[in-house]
Amino acid sequence: MKSLLNSELSMFEQTVNEFAANELLDGRQENDRFPFAPLFEEVLKKARAVGFFSVTLPEELDGCCMGTTELCVLLEGLSRIDASLAAVIFTDTLAKEIVYRSKGFLQLADFLPKVSEFEGTLFAFQAQADPAECASVSAEPAGEDAWTLSGKADYVVLGGIAHNAVIPARTGAGYSFFLVDLEAPGVTASEPVLSLGLHACPAVDVTLDGASAALVGEAGKGAEYFGRVAGRMNTAAAAMSLGVMKGSFEEAVDYAKERQQGGRRIVNWSEVRRILARMAVKVKAADMVVTEACRAEEDNIPGWELGAKAASLFAGGASIEVTTDGIQVLGGNGYMEDYGQEKRFRDAGQIRSLMGSTPMRELALMGKVLEGEPLY
Amino acid sequence: MFSSSDAALLDREPRYDDITCSLASVNRLPAGVISETRELVAMARRFSDEVVRPRALELDRMKHEDPDYLPWDLVEEANRWGFYTMFIPKLFGGQGKNMPGLSYVLEEIGSACTAISNLIGVHYLGIGTLCGSWNGRVMNKVMREVAEGERTGKPCLVSLAITEPGAGTDVEEVDLIGRAKVTCHAEKVPGGYRLNGRKIFISSGHLSTWHMTIAYGDLENPAETTVMLAVRNGMEGFSFGRQEHKMGQKGCPASELIFEDCFVPDELVCFDSVQADKLSKPMKAITNQLLDYVLSASRAGVGAFGTGVARGAYEEALRFSQETEVGGKLLINHEWAQVLLAEMYKNVAMARLSYIETNYANGMYGLFKLLHYKPIFYCLRYTPQTFIDRFLKPFLEKDFVTWIFRKIYFDWQKPEQGERTSGWASLSKFASTDAGVKNSQLACELMGGAGVRTDQMAEKHLRDSKLLQIYEGTNQLNRLNLFKCLIGRSAPQSKVFED
Repeated sequence: MKSLLNSELSMFEQTVNEFAANELLDGRQENDRFPFAPLFEEVLKKARAVGFFSVTLPEELDGCCMGTTELCVLLEGLSRIDASLAAVIFTDTLAKEIVYRSKGFLQLADFLPKVSEFEGTLFAFQAQADPAECASVSAEPAGEDAWTLSGKADYVVLGGIAHNAVIPARTGAGYSFFLVDLEAPGVTASEPVLSLGLHACPAVDVTLDGASAALVGEAGKGAEYFGRVAGRMNTAAAAMSLGVMKGSFEEAVDYAKERQQGGRRIVNWSEVRRILARMAVKVKAADMVVTEACRAEEDNIPGWELGAKAASLFAGGASIEVTTDGIQVLGGNGYMEDYGQEKRFRDAGQIRSLMGSTPMRELALMGKVLEGEPLY
Repeated sequence: MFSSSDAALLDREPRYDDITCSLASVNRLPAGVISETRELVAMARRFSDEVVRPRALELDRMKHEDPDYLPWDLVEEANRWGFYTMFIPKLFGGQGKNMPGLSYVLEEIGSACTAISNLIGVHYLGIGTLCGSWNGRVMNKVMREVAEGERTGKPCLVSLAITEPGAGTDVEEVDLIGRAKVTCHAEKVPGGYRLNGRKIFISSGHLSTWHMTIAYGDLENPAETTVMLAVRNGMEGFSFGRQEHKMGQKGCPASELIFEDCFVPDELVCFDSVQADKLSKPMKAITNQLLDYVLSASRAGVGAFGTGVARGAYEEALRFSQETEVGGKLLINHEWAQVLLAEMYKNVAMARLSYIETNYANGMYGLFKLLHYKPIFYCLRYTPQTFIDRFLKPFLEKDFVTWIFRKIYFDWQKPEQGERTSGWASLSKFASTDAGVKNSQLACELMGGAGVRTDQMAEKHLRDSKLLQIYEGTNQLNRLNLFKCLIGRSAPQSKVFED
C-alpha cells in the first residue's frame, strides 16, 4: 500500500506499527489464551486513547474523519502482529458505520457522549455473518418508536464486552437493524464462544426474549444500510487478511534464513525458497489488490464496491494459503504457540468468513455482475 | 505367452510391481484378515461413539485452559478397550490383530478426534520402531509389559523419541542425518551406553512408560553410529521436560525428554553398530532399512490420520448442510454445496486408497511381511496363548532368533522392495494429510461463520489436520523421498538432497 502513503499517512502507519510492536507483540500469546486468560483491556484502552477506534466517523462521534485507506493502514498494520485488536476495531467500526450510514448521526451523537467507560462506547455485531442470513431474531413493534426482539443471535462479536449491540432482525419481508442494550432485561448472553482464531476479539451467543430495542434508521432497510457500508468494510477485511499474510511471510523468511537442516540454511533449499516465493507472490498481489480497492473508492470509480468485494474474497483466500505455508516453513515450530504462525493461520481462517461465507459472497458478487455492475 | 520382451515392458516406469501391490496381495492375504478387519472397524466405531465423540471437544478445551493437563482417563479407557495390545503379535503377549487393521482403526477414531486417535496410533509408532530393530529380547520385555499393563489397568505405552531441537526433517532421512545438527549422544561405556541430550515434540511422551530413543555414538558421523535404546521411566538421568503448546491435536501431548548421563544397560540396547556387525550390509544401509521399515508403517498410519480428519471434516460439513438454510433453502440443496461435498468425499476416498495400497506393500515387502505369511498368520491365530507363552516365548530370548529375524528383514530384503514400500508410504502420507487439511478448509468455507466455532468441530479438524503435514517427515521431505524411491532411480543423472 506504499503508493498510497503521503507524508501524513506515513506518520500514521509508523504510529500503528510502533503501537503493534510495543503493545501487541509481547502479550500476543497470552492474550490469545482468552477466555482462559484475562482480556487485554489495557491494550484496548490504549488503542482508544491513540484514536484507533471509530476512525472513519466524524469527530463529533469520537472519530477522526478518516477514509478507507487510513482504516486499512490501521487494520493491516495491527494484523501483521496480532489481528485480534484489528478485529475488535473492525467489528466496532462496522456496527457504528451501519448506524451512521442509516442517517443515524443523531442516534449516535445522542448515545456516545453519555457513556464514560470504554466498554460503553464499543458496539457488538455479528461480524462473521451476512446479516441477511441472521434470520433467527424477529422484531415486533411495541408502541411508538419502540420495538422488542425475540430469538437467538449467534456469535455476537464483542457481545461479552460491549454494553450495546447492533442486531439484525426480521421485520416483515426484509430485515432491520436494532440497537440493543445487552444489559437490559430480556437479554441473555452465553459464556464466550470458543473459536478458531481472534481469541482476544471474543463473541457470545445472545438470546433475546422480548428485549427492548431501538430501530436503526427505517424499518425494512437493513439490507440497504448494510450495502452502504459493505464496500468499505470489505476492503477493511481484505486489509486484515493482507496484514496477517505479511506477518506470516516475514516470520517465515526470518526463520528460513536462520534454521538449518541437512547442513544448510533452509532458505537455500530450493523447494523452501519456492514456497516462500509463492507466498511472496500472493502477498504482493493482495497488497496491490487492497491498494487498488482503496484508490478506487477514494476516486469514486464506478464499480469500486464490487472491486472491494473481490478484494476481500481474493485476499481472504490467499491468506489461507499463505498462512498454511507460513507454518510449513517453520515445521514443528510453526505449529507451536511460541511462534506467531499458528495464530496467523487460525486468524486468517476467521477473517475470511467476516461478513458471510465465501461461497455465498462469491455468488452474490456474480449476481451483481449479471445485474450489470461493471467488474472492471 | 509371456515373453522376455513383455518382462522388459513391465519393468518400465511405472513398474508393474509398484502399481500392483494390491493385486499381488490377493492370493497371499490370509482370508482371516477380512473378517477381522470388519470386527476392528465396528469396534473402533463403537469406541468413537461411546468414548471419543463425547469427550473430544472437552479434552480440547481442557488442554486450551491448562496446557499441562494429561488425559490419563482417556488412555486408561483405551487401555480397557484393549487398543494398546490389539496389534502386538501374540508371540509377544498381544492380541495379534492384523497390522493393516490399525490404519482402519486410526481412520475411524481420527474422524472423531485426531488427538485421541494419536493417543492410540503413536503407541504403535513406538512399538513399530521396536519391532523394526527385530531385537527379540527387548521386544519380548517391552511388549509383554504393555500386555501386563492391560491386565492390571495401568497403561504401559511406548513412544518414539527421534526429533531434536536442531534436527527434525533430517533425522528421518539417512542421506541427511550426516549433515544434521544432532546432539543426542550415546557414549559406549562398560555394560551399556551413557545417554545425553534432549528430544522434543515426542508424541505421548509424558504418557508413555517406554521410549524408543534414537541417539548417535558419534555426533559427527550419526548415520554410521545410530543407536536405538529402550529407555524406561524412572531410569536415573531420564526426566520429562515441558509439554509443547500446540495449535491442535491438543489431547495428545508433545513432550520434551531430557537425558543427563542416563545409563542404558546392554540388555536395553535395541540396535547398534555392534549388533549390525552380524549382518552382511554396512551400518548406514541397515540404518536406512530400519528407518524405512518403521516409517513405511508409520506413514501409512499418518495417512490414516489424514484420511480420518478429512472424513471428520466432510461429515461435519454434510451434517451442517442438512441442518442449515441459506438463501431460503437447505444448504445441501445448493448445487455448489453438493459439488463441494462430492469433492470432499473424493478426497477421503483417494486418501484411504493410498494408505490401503501402502499397507499392501508393507504386507508384501515391509514390516508386516512375516506376520502376513499365511502359515505364520494362522499358526499364531489358532495356537493357544498359553502354548505360545510356555514354549515359544523362551526362544525369543535367544540370539539366533534375533539373528534370523534380521537376516530376513535386512540382508534378504531387495532394494526395490524397500523403495516400493517407502515410496508408497510417502505418497500416502502427503496425499492423505494434504487431503485432511484441504477438507478441513473446505468444511470451514462451506460453514462460513459457523465454521469458526469450536462447537461445530470443523475448526478443530482444521487445527488438528495441520500437524499431519509436518510430523513423520514434512510433506516436502516425503515428496523428495517419493522422488528418490520411485522416480530418481530411473533417472541416473538425478541426485537427491544435493540441491
